[in-house]
Amino acid sequence: MIDLPTIWFGILCLQIALYILLDGADLGLGLLSLLPKKESEESLMMQTVGPIWDANETWLVIAAGTLFGAFPLAYSIILNALYIPVMLLLFGLILRAASFEFHTLAHNKKIWSLMFGVGSLMAIVGQGTALGGLLGGITIVDGQFAGGAFDWVTPLTLFITVGVAFSYAVVGYAYLIKKTSHEMAGNSFAHVLVAAGVTFVAFLTATLMLPQMQYVFLSRWSTAPANYLLFAIAGAIGLVSLLLCYDLLRKRHREHLHTLCMIIFVLAMAGMLVGVYPYLIPPMLTIQAAAASEKTLQFMLYGIAPLLPIVLAYNFYLYRVFRRHMGPSEREGY
Amino acid sequence: MDVLTFSRLQFGDTAAFHILWPIMSIGLSLYMLVMEVAWLYTGNESYYRQLRFWTKIFILTFAMGTASGIPLQFEFGTNWAAFSAATGDFFGNILGFESTVAFALEAAFLGIFVFGWNKVGRGAHLFANAMIFVGATLSAFWIMAANSWMQIPVGVVVEGSKLIVSDYMAAIFNPGTIVSFLHMWVACIESTLFMMTGICAMVLLFGTRDTAQREFFLTAFKYCVALAIIIVPIQLGIGHVSGETVAKYQPAKLAATELHWDTNAPGTGAALNLFAWPAAEGGRNSFALAIPGGLSFITTVPQDGVVRGLNSFPAADRPTTLEATIVFYSFRLMVGIGVVLLLLMFAGAWYWGKGRLTLAKIDKHRVFWWLWVLALPLGFIATEAGWMVREIGRQPWVVYNLMRTSEGLSSNLNVVTVAATTIIFTLLYLIFGALFIYFTYRIVKKGPDLTTPV
Repeated sequence: MIDLPTIWFGILCLQIALYILLDGADLGLGLLSLLPKKESEESLMMQTVGPIWDANETWLVIAAGTLFGAFPLAYSIILNALYIPVMLLLFGLILRAASFEFHTLAHNKKIWSLMFGVGSLMAIVGQGTALGGLLGGITIVDGQFAGGAFDWVTPLTLFITVGVAFSYAVVGYAYLIKKTSHEMAGNSFAHVLVAAGVTFVAFLTATLMLPQMQYVFLSRWSTAPANYLLFAIAGAIGLVSLLLCYDLLRKRHREHLHTLCMIIFVLAMAGMLVGVYPYLIPPMLTIQAAAASEKTLQFMLYGIAPLLPIVLAYNFYLYRVFRRHMGPSEREGY
Repeated sequence: MDVLTFSRLQFGDTAAFHILWPIMSIGLSLYMLVMEVAWLYTGNESYYRQLRFWTKIFILTFAMGTASGIPLQFEFGTNWAAFSAATGDFFGNILGFESTVAFALEAAFLGIFVFGWNKVGRGAHLFANAMIFVGATLSAFWIMAANSWMQIPVGVVVEGSKLIVSDYMAAIFNPGTIVSFLHMWVACIESTLFMMTGICAMVLLFGTRDTAQREFFLTAFKYCVALAIIIVPIQLGIGHVSGETVAKYQPAKLAATELHWDTNAPGTGAALNLFAWPAAEGGRNSFALAIPGGLSFITTVPQDGVVRGLNSFPAADRPTTLEATIVFYSFRLMVGIGVVLLLLMFAGAWYWGKGRLTLAKIDKHRVFWWLWVLALPLGFIATEAGWMVREIGRQPWVVYNLMRTSEGLSSNLNVVTVAATTIIFTLLYLIFGALFIYFTYRIVKKGPDLTTPV
């Protein structure tokens, strides 16, 4: 019998995964928009994210709500400790949301697509530094954060942030290819390959650094069954990555690139989960210790859990409505 | 200044800015829903044009609301970690409901509503419109339930440093929830209607001379006045019940709202201060213009009953003199605006009845139209003032009588970080607020598209 905190941890992971899979693409597009390109390409990018980005961002709000409701102790400690990364993420999200709307209305579109890109970059750096800070460990005394404001500034955080940024760029690019019939990036395949390579090296380095920073990882990763699982996941990631590189080099199956990227993301997250479980904040706070009372978890399960499939269903409907490719001139609505 | 002051400033700033957008989202989504239903029911194109035009402003308000709403949710953790850890069992749970059930609904259907005109059928489009309105309303409900619980924290027991839920329904439907939700929800609609009439009046006074365009804004004005005739009187009733709830459950807040210092003796009604100024050392007013017996008359049964004064609460457990003064004047500002808007609504109905709401007669009644222009921001000012009464009047408690605001603060924050983020938030919001006004001005100046086939 699985207990309630574990169930809620599973739901939380699912929500975060959905957020990364969905919003990762439009954050990546924002990052790509910072690279030099033609005005028409830029409008096409903005158009691609138009109908979906706010629904995508919803999953961050939902995940944060779930973390707050189901694991209030973790919510308070993580946000308290990662004050600066979280604020960076927030400023980035504010900038993105506002500049997206201003972009559609303004005469001078350049400044707002630039702001959209800058906002995306800030949000990505915020997420990367927050993840780095979390995995690097948070000092907790008596259920309260007891470290300093800059504890998250470590080499580990640097590598993780670079990895997050480049992986989003790759997935954003793959999404753009999937959604447009436009030959907008015929010769930037090499760039994607380099970005994918940087992602790989950055995350590999970070993974090797982790056990040295925290002993808990070393013992966890070297005992069964976690070690077998991690080994299998790493192997799978390697295989899918090879397939991705092969397709990229041969310039074929371009519409499958996005799917392959998503598979790698899911595998990587699964790997992280296996590596960190049962901790919510390694190495101090476990899932069980961070959970809200039994009664709350039960109430939330009856109240929210049946709604999640409905939320999923209407998001799926949204994606179906806007499924087909967008041509360069297609702009409707308002 | 310390971390506590800056954190309070930051939350106050960001919340005061955020609330502007849900006000308009709720108000405009109601207007849009009424218009789409009317259009599909009657086939009258005029409704369709209204729907399409005001949607443009709605989209902008929704984006601003999302952008400024996400930080609020996170600030509970970043700046108020101890509060979040202690109350997460209930409070976090309710915010979870808000994001899952309400906000997600609104965000997903907005995409279909805005971009889906030629992609989905009319029925599906109307459904998306309705879901936006339902989502916005539900969102307001959950937020008001969570906030009301901070005012009247029932349904929980104290276990160590945590507040654990013992009775969910009692906590969600605490004595303040329904009345606060209705008060806020109606305030959203009322504020939006007077913003819209203000915009219409501006166009009619100073804007385009194109008859079709002017006719459009005159029609919108009439629809808004018609809705206001239903909404404004309701608000007066709800406001009164809301006051009674405060009198019953938060006597210190009532005393602060009225700058009522000394408890009156039984049988002698407490006076109602119309205007007052507290003495510098606190504890009494140095000046007061009062109606004898007025406060007891409106708040107690029998009508000369005892009303506790601020001095009867320990100084550490009630709002400071400064806080009480802010609450006192905010309350009067809110009520004053409520009365002004009621009178304006009557004037609108009167002019309408007299057949004066026609394009030809606008220049004859410029003063009338000017009044509506001046009333444009009043609803927002009243709503902000109402929130000042609600939140500052609750001090020094973050959870009334259970947890102090100072106890809810995060640990190990340094004042520079919090001050810097407060300043960045404020600057960003000032710039975005100004840009919103600019872009709304441009949308209005361009006017509705009256020619593209339906």
